[in-house]
Amino acid sequence: MTCNETRDLFSPLADDALTPVERAALDAHLAGCAECRRELARFERTVKMVRALDPSHAPAGFVDRVLAAAQPAPWPRRVARRLARPWPGLPLGAAALFVVGGLAAFLFRGSVEQQRAARYESSPPAQQYQVPPSAPAETPSREKAAASDTAGPPKAERAEPTPAAPAPANEPASARAAAPAADAARSTPPAREPAPAAPAARELSARPAESERQESGVDARDRRVDAPASTAKRAESQVEARTQGEAKAPASSQRASDKVEPLAKLRRNAVTAPSAPGAATSSRANALAAAAAEPPDVNAQLRAPDAKTAERSLVALAANVGGRQTGRRVDAGRVIVQFSVPQDGYAEFVRRAAALGALSIERQTTDRPVLTVTVSVTVGG
Amino acid sequence: MRETLGGDPPGLLARLRAGDPRAFEELVIGYQHRVFGVALRMLGNRAEAEEIAQEVFLRAHRAVADFRGEARLGTWLYGIASRLCLNRLGSPDRRMARGDALLADVTATTPDAAAELERAELDAALRTAIAELPEERRLVLVLRDVEGLSYEQIAEALAVDPGTVRSRLHRARMQLKEKLERFS
Repeated sequence: MTCNETRDLFSPLADDALTPVERAALDAHLAGCAECRRELARFERTVKMVRALDPSHAPAGFVDRVLAAAQPAPWPRRVARRLARPWPGLPLGAAALFVVGGLAAFLFRGSVEQQRAARYESSPPAQQYQVPPSAPAETPSREKAAASDTAGPPKAERAEPTPAAPAPANEPASARAAAPAADAARSTPPAREPAPAAPAARELSARPAESERQESGVDARDRRVDAPASTAKRAESQVEARTQGEAKAPASSQRASDKVEPLAKLRRNAVTAPSAPGAATSSRANALAAAAAEPPDVNAQLRAPDAKTAERSLVALAANVGGRQTGRRVDAGRVIVQFSVPQDGYAEFVRRAAALGALSIERQTTDRPVLTVTVSVTVGG
Repeated sequence: MRETLGGDPPGLLARLRAGDPRAFEELVIGYQHRVFGVALRMLGNRAEAEEIAQEVFLRAHRAVADFRGEARLGTWLYGIASRLCLNRLGSPDRRMARGDALLADVTATTPDAAAELERAELDAALRTAIAELPEERRLVLVLRDVEGLSYEQIAEALAVDPGTVRSRLHRARMQLKEKLERFS
C-alpha cells in the first residue's frame, strides 16, 4: 500500500468505517511509515476540532414564528394572494407569447403613426402638449407604476425543488441549475410588460420617470430579498396594498383626466384602440407599483457627527441583532439605509442606534416578525 | 458534534399527516436547532439562516402528506435544508455577509487570557476554513462532523451514494487539515 492510498483511508478510519481488510492494510503501512503516522495525527486533530465546535441554536422565538407562518390565511386572502402571483402554473410558452404580445402592443402603440392617428382623433395638435401646471404631479406617479413593474414581482417563491419525495429526487446541483431559469420564467411576464400609459404622457415625463425608475428599481430589489416564509405577513399586506392600488387606480386616472384634457383623450383613445389588450395590464401595473411603494415598518432619522461612521455602525448593529442591510441610496445629500431586523432584536437595535447620535423615529409598526427599518443618516451634532 | 440523529417519535408522522398542529409544533421544537445549525454553517449569516430554516419547516408542513416515510423525518428535513442552502448560495443576487456570524459564535470561557486568545484564534481560523470549503464538501462535513449524521443518512438526505459522501468528506477534511497546518 502506498502513502497516498493509506491517507485515503484516514477519513473512514475517523468514522470507524473501514472494512477489516482495509484496517489491516492501513495498520501494516503505518507500522513502517513515520511520515504517515504524523500525517494521521494531524488529520485526527483536525477532525476532533471540527467535532468540538459548539452546535448552533435557533434564535429565541423561532418556533412561534414558524407556527405563525404556517397558519393558513383566511380564504379571501389566499385567493387574493394566488391572483396576485405571476401565475406559476402558466406554461413557459404561453408566458413567452404573453410577453411578445405585450411588447408588440407596446411598440405598436408607441409608434409615430399610431400617435399621429391618436392626435387626429383627439383635440387639435396645438393643445397636445400643453399640460397644466398641476398635471406633472399626477404623471410621474403613473410612470412610477410602470417603473416598479419593470423591476419584477417580489421573489415570493423561488424555484427550489419541492420536498415531496422522502429523499430528494434531484441532485442539488441540477436543482440549483434549474432554479434561476425557473425564476426568470416566472418573473418574466410581468417584468417585461409595458405599462399602458398614453404615449404622449410617456414622452412628456420620460426624463423624470428615468430617475424614478432607478429608485424604485432599487426598492424593488431590496424587497425581493425578503424571506418568503418569515415575511408571510408582509406578503399578505402587499396583497392588500395591491388590492388598494387597483381600487385607487381608476380614481387617480380620473383626476388626471380632469386636469389634462388632451392627455385624457389620448388615454381614452388608447383604451379603445385595437392594441387595447395591453391596457388590461394597467391596473396590475398600478397594483404592483402600490406594493413596491409600500412604506417601511419603521422610518427613522439619525443625526450623527460622521455619517460614514454612523452608517457603518448601523450595519454592524443590524448584524449583531440578527438582521442585515438590505438597501442603500443617497437622496438629497442624505444617506438612506434600509435594514431587515427581526422583531426580537428591534428594541436592542433602537437602543444602540440612539447611542450613535440623535435618533428620531417618525413611523413605527412593530407587529411583524421581520421589520423593514429605514434610517436616514444626516450629519449634525 | 450533536448526538446521533435518532428515530422519529412513534406516531409523529401519522399525526403530522393528519394535520395535527401539535405534531407540527413537536417537529419544529425537535429539529429547530439542527436545521438552523446546518443553515448557519452553510450561509454564515444568522438572519439568512433563520429565513431558510423557517422555509424548511413550512415546506415540510405543506408536503408532509406526500412524504412516504421511507426516510426519517430528520433526514428528510436535512435534505430540504441542504437543497435550500445550496440554492441560496447559487442564487446570483445573494449578498453574502461572509464571516459575520462565523466569528460571532466564538465563545471564550478559559480563565487564562493567553490560552483564551489562542483558542479564539484557532476557533476563528477553523470557522473561516470551513466557510471557504467548496459548498458541497462543506455540506457533507457539517452534516457528518457537526450534526453527527451517518454516511447513509447523508447519502439519503443529499440523494447521492455513500461513496460520494465518503470521498467528499475525505477531501473536505484533508483541505481543512492543510488550512490549519500552522496550528498543528
